[in-house]
Amino acid sequence: MEKAIVIDMKNLTKKFGGLCAVNDFTGHVKENQIIGIIGPNGAGKTTILNMVSGIYPPTQGEIIFKGKDISKLAPFQINHLGIARTFQNIRLFQEMTVLETIMTAYSWRAPYHFLETFVSLPRVARFEKETKEKCLHWIEKVGLGNEAHSITQSLPYGMQRRVEIARALASEPTVLLLDEPGAGLNQSEIHDLVDLIQGLFTELSLSIMLIDHRMDVIMRLCEWIYVQDFGKNISQGTPEQIQKDPIVIKAYLGEEIINA
Amino acid sequence: MQFSIILQQVVNGLSLGAVYALIAVGFALIFNVLKFSNFAHGGVLGISAYAGYIAANQFKLPLIPVILVGMVTGAILAVLVELIAFRWIRLQKGQLVYFFVTSVTMLMLLEQVLIIRFGASFESYPYTLVKVRVLQFGDVTISVTYLLSLISTIIAFSGLIYVLKKTKIGIAIRAASNDLTATSLMGINVNMVIIAAFIVSGMLGGLSGVLYGISASLSPQIGQIVVKGFIASVLGGLGSLTGVAVAAVVLGVLEVFLISTIGSGLSPVVIFLLMVVFLLVRPHGFAGVSFSDKA
Amino acid sequence: MTFYITVAISIAISSIAVLGTFMLTGMNGLFSLGQAAFMGLGAYATAILVVNYGLPFPLAILIAIALAISLAFFVGYATLRIRQDFFALATFGFGQAMIALLTETVTITGGAMGFSNIPRLTSPALAFISLAIAIFFVWGFRRSHFGKDSLAIRSNELAAEVEGINAFKHKMIVFVISAGFAAYAGALMAFHISYVEPATYGWILSVTWIIIVFFGGRDSLTGTVIGAIILLAAPEALRFTTAWRILVYCVIILLIINLRPRGLFGTWEISLKPFLRFFKSKKQQEAK
Repeated sequence: MEKAIVIDMKNLTKKFGGLCAVNDFTGHVKENQIIGIIGPNGAGKTTILNMVSGIYPPTQGEIIFKGKDISKLAPFQINHLGIARTFQNIRLFQEMTVLETIMTAYSWRAPYHFLETFVSLPRVARFEKETKEKCLHWIEKVGLGNEAHSITQSLPYGMQRRVEIARALASEPTVLLLDEPGAGLNQSEIHDLVDLIQGLFTELSLSIMLIDHRMDVIMRLCEWIYVQDFGKNISQGTPEQIQKDPIVIKAYLGEEIINA
Repeated sequence: MQFSIILQQVVNGLSLGAVYALIAVGFALIFNVLKFSNFAHGGVLGISAYAGYIAANQFKLPLIPVILVGMVTGAILAVLVELIAFRWIRLQKGQLVYFFVTSVTMLMLLEQVLIIRFGASFESYPYTLVKVRVLQFGDVTISVTYLLSLISTIIAFSGLIYVLKKTKIGIAIRAASNDLTATSLMGINVNMVIIAAFIVSGMLGGLSGVLYGISASLSPQIGQIVVKGFIASVLGGLGSLTGVAVAAVVLGVLEVFLISTIGSGLSPVVIFLLMVVFLLVRPHGFAGVSFSDKA
Repeated sequence: MTFYITVAISIAISSIAVLGTFMLTGMNGLFSLGQAAFMGLGAYATAILVVNYGLPFPLAILIAIALAISLAFFVGYATLRIRQDFFALATFGFGQAMIALLTETVTITGGAMGFSNIPRLTSPALAFISLAIAIFFVWGFRRSHFGKDSLAIRSNELAAEVEGINAFKHKMIVFVISAGFAAYAGALMAFHISYVEPATYGWILSVTWIIIVFFGGRDSLTGTVIGAIILLAAPEALRFTTAWRILVYCVIILLIINLRPRGLFGTWEISLKPFLRFFKSKKQQEAK
């Protein structure tokens, strides 16, 4: 049976003043699928992700998520609908512990109004307890079981990346957007990361949109890949197809290699 | 309104605007390099204005030395402000709010120093400092002190542009404005560049303080005029010093007209309401400047 | 004795305003230079309603707070989406506008000369109980998810947003509540010192409160309260004039930010846990 399309991006364009960061991008993510967007730096990949997560509105085009146009929604609204993301340069709450950081993802689901805080203390306490258990579960899932009470900024970079992912998972999303999750990691850390993402994908039946400019990450995880260069889509296909595509090779490696 | 009255207002506005331009540029310089609003610039301005006043009043110095006293005081004070209020936070990579606290605190501190030393009353620069007070062109009176401001602003501004474009330190300051980290990675001593930026900013602050003190009167609250510099920086597009200077002049003209129509008492209310309208209509910025912190 | 009580009441009332700033600037990182303007509004509105229109004190206070909250909605809506330094500028402008308004409406407010002969209706009980309630309120706020959200938004607003936190709505709530605190403190203060004038409620007062919060430690409620008491009581004891008092505050906060940026109390909070543990272990011992 054909998988349903979960995110449908149609003719997305983003202009910043005179600069066209994304030029007429069309693509989609299906249910339980990992797709990748690759391209050299400056190709506009992160901008696509930023538009999907609501950080900027597209200049043109639409983004349809489960049948609804989300292109004009605020990031928090998009999160409530079921999309979560990580950031390329880690954006964590440095002074909080890992557990506290991840618990913030459940904050919007709190079953109490501001004024009710004083009236129904038992409800507050119960929600805190349930949330804490769920978050400990996510922390285990990303392999940081021992670090739940460590202060985020004390953790090494590789672990902070995992906290990013755990926090995104804590939104209990349908779709996960990963922005250069391998940035700054060494070979063995990347290997573990890929295993982690693969594991989460299988276990949680997520849909994942992955951005990276490193071929090894993309090739191992993605079912379908879009290749961007200077804002334009220059190719798309399965990993095997992309690897052999001369247009892609040229964009990444330059003319000389083809002719050599 | 009679044409000559309007012309008079425009002239007054331009003169005031010239002073505002000096203040704004001194403020914007630090904003460009360090990416935050240095409210303490007002304090530097205020102290320098009084330093010039002491030079003129007690030591009976003539105009040019008085201006120089102001500029030197400004430069030294600005460097002290950077060392006391900002350096440590920057080295600790502190959050933005800490910079706000220290810069506003310095503004407040310097104002209190003036209040303690000079009391809450107004002072005036000696009348004899500028020999000819007004020039008459038909129905229009041009205050010589304002004319002085205009000329000084033009000279100072041209000097600044020259320094920024042609001298080594100026280019370093521009590089630092663009990307502080990259600049330091290129082997340039960023701390010295920042000190240089503060020296220049301080000189401009001192100059504007003395000129404003001569044109208007001196009170310990004189430093609060830095807000005008801030507004001009915002309107003119942070990052473009020319834009900032032009915006400041426009602001001066607008303010003169505003005061002549509704009086100086209620103008803060009108200014605030205009600000609100502006923010509601264009919350995403003006002249390419983003108003939001994000992304 | 009455001198000390008078001073204590002033300190208690000012502390309520400081708690407003604690929520706004300390917990949420919103650097507002216009908080004192809300205090001025609270003070004048209550004074005018009671003295000129004969309303009962409690009703006048409620109306004054409602007025401040409404104004805060308007100001907050316009200014809370912009970057921090422009927000400081906008709130500064708001403060100046409020002072100008209070000064120019001479016929109602008495103008720059101030509004005097306000009856002393603020009893010690009212002041101290109000402070206790205010502290309890802020404590509760911090413990709830609103407190956690505040820290999240302060640390990294964008990250908080993509996690589902409606940062704008949150900031509006905080801004409005803080305005309410400041207005209430203004009302109490007006009916304590019996005289109000517009110039008091400028940016300098707002910054003084911010200094007190950062002195005690923006992450410590206990620290802020104790810090407020120290900084507000000391000048009385030492009989400083206003300018010297402010100067000393400035020097203190510059020292704190350079040497101990987390504030005197850091993240320490007074806690009942040691006592509870002590009693628990005693019970266990007795059970044996």
